[in-house]
Amino acid sequence: MSKELIRLRDLCMAFDDELVLDHVNLYINDSEFLTLLGPSGCGKTTTLRIIGGFTTPTSGDVTFDGVRINDVPPHKRQINTVFQKYALFPHLDVFENIAFGLRIAKISNKEVEERVLEMLSVVSLNGFEHRRVDQLSGGQQQRVAIARALVNRPKVLLLDEPLGALDLRLRKDMQNELKRIQQQMGITFIYVTHDQEEALTMSDTVVVMDKGRIQQIGTPVDIYNEPKNAFVADFIGESNILDGIMHEDYVVEFFNRKFKCLDKGFAPMEAVDVVIRPEDIEIVPPDRGRLVGTVASVTFKGVHYDTIVDFKGYKWLIQTTDYHEVGEVIGIVLNPDDIHIMKKSEYSGLFGDYSSYSAEYDEINDPDFAEEDEEDADDEN
Amino acid sequence: MKAKSPVLSRIFNALVFVFLYLPIVVLIIFSFNDSKSRTVWSGFSLHWYTELFHDEEILSAFSTTLTVSLLASLIATVLGTAAAIGFFSMRRRPRQLLMTVNNIPMTNADIITGVSLMLLFVFTGNILGFSLGFGTLLVAHITFNIPYVVLAVMPKLRQLDPNLGEAALDLGATPWQAFWKVLMPELRPGIFNGMLIAFTLSIDDFVISYFTAGSEVSTLAMQIYAMTRKRISPEVNALSTILFVTVLVLLIIVNLREVRQQNLKDRQNRALKRDAAR
Repeated sequence: MSKELIRLRDLCMAFDDELVLDHVNLYINDSEFLTLLGPSGCGKTTTLRIIGGFTTPTSGDVTFDGVRINDVPPHKRQINTVFQKYALFPHLDVFENIAFGLRIAKISNKEVEERVLEMLSVVSLNGFEHRRVDQLSGGQQQRVAIARALVNRPKVLLLDEPLGALDLRLRKDMQNELKRIQQQMGITFIYVTHDQEEALTMSDTVVVMDKGRIQQIGTPVDIYNEPKNAFVADFIGESNILDGIMHEDYVVEFFNRKFKCLDKGFAPMEAVDVVIRPEDIEIVPPDRGRLVGTVASVTFKGVHYDTIVDFKGYKWLIQTTDYHEVGEVIGIVLNPDDIHIMKKSEYSGLFGDYSSYSAEYDEINDPDFAEEDEEDADDEN
Repeated sequence: MKAKSPVLSRIFNALVFVFLYLPIVVLIIFSFNDSKSRTVWSGFSLHWYTELFHDEEILSAFSTTLTVSLLASLIATVLGTAAAIGFFSMRRRPRQLLMTVNNIPMTNADIITGVSLMLLFVFTGNILGFSLGFGTLLVAHITFNIPYVVLAVMPKLRQLDPNLGEAALDLGATPWQAFWKVLMPELRPGIFNGMLIAFTLSIDDFVISYFTAGSEVSTLAMQIYAMTRKRISPEVNALSTILFVTVLVLLIIVNLREVRQQNLKDRQNRALKRDAAR
């Protein structure tokens, strides 16, 4: 793509002996939409705060356009931020909120007015300039926060889970909106989220993080189709992750059967993790199946059914548009490109078995879920 | 909780108020008494008030009180606000520790604060060559005012969006500009309340002033005390009345402001809810 703008070199961050970032290396190109994706506590927000200048790394360098900026305070960086809870100034109206940065830079009244009004139309808030910010809905406040950052014409815009407090429909609209604004303005967006769908929808590059380390960097398609380890495979979409043995190039064994695959470069008889995406599995009558299992549960999801199938005690998730009854015996076939092989990692064996699967399961495990729900209550009309 | 006998509870309440306020009411009434007697009412007059304003000692005590209260509350407001912001930006443990340290002087007996400050001033005064007087009185007032300012500003800080200051920095403001342009407008009501409370406390303080002012300077409260010991004159009633009314008015202002801010917030929230419902 285009030229490199920001580079993080061997970035480490420790809070009271707790390592939050562990040797993070990353470069970010000009005009790129890059997303830092990971569960809460993975270090993504810390990374963003270091780029913004609000946190000083324990060790490692941040360079901007080739210049080291570790010690440059935030007000001297050509970077602006959209904060998680917007952080609008309550004592100023919409116009003055957006004009704040320009007023600080002592720009003439005439130009301030032009640029603020232009920004208001970019975020579709024409006519709102004299509203008080506490009279705006969540989505409108969000737009003001974006306009307030962009009006300064930064080289980079940092966004810290900006859609987290919005309800689902509004969030989808804002995703498109953000992508449009990014392309229209042609500036670099660095976006932090724990929502994998959001990351895949908007980004040019996705950086998956966990436990302070970068797990994988790639395009949304790469990340989804070629996850590097069980963590990435599980975090990005749903997956069945099985233990397998790589016999030779293009041949993998699991469930005591050999399958053809497209992966190579492993040692002979190397133990590996096998990923099979639930939507790639084809259900056939039992006599034609490579593997035969029993349907254990079915959940209607709208577009498809989440069908849990028991293969000799190991449960797979299969997404299919055809309905199969609980107790029905079915066969499956797998094409070589449905099978993805990963090296064993510290995450092996942690994910993939759907024995405990239920619709509520994800929500219980997501600490942000309940919180977001409450905030949705007073958002948008 | 519901009282079993409303009559009894009302009588009890009435008694509480009688014991609390009757002495003050009597004092105020007798400050308008025509004669010198403190037991017999002999007609309305402003005699003792005019007397008061011709008494050199009292007038000088009055100006001392006003100067000390104004200066002390202003300086304590600046220091207390800075301290509150400092405490707030700390991590939880040290912050809690410092808040406890901050709160102890408020629950501490005035006399202990007074005596210990006096000892400190006498001790350092011996070394550095100053004696008790207006300076030490002022320092003492600033000292006992600061914790109240911290306590008034803290809740406002807690209501702030934690990223507000950072947002200002992010938009190019220097830390100083961020404070004045963004934090200050949000904190102002709390700071102002803190200053009023500090002023009120300074005006009516007796014990701490008594120990730290030395023999040259005296405040109104100290003057009243001295008057009751020397010659018993109804001027004391008049002076006490003025002091009582001043403090009362200030406290009412503080409370009204708090109520009004609360109402404003409620109204905004309601408006927002209405918007959201539409």
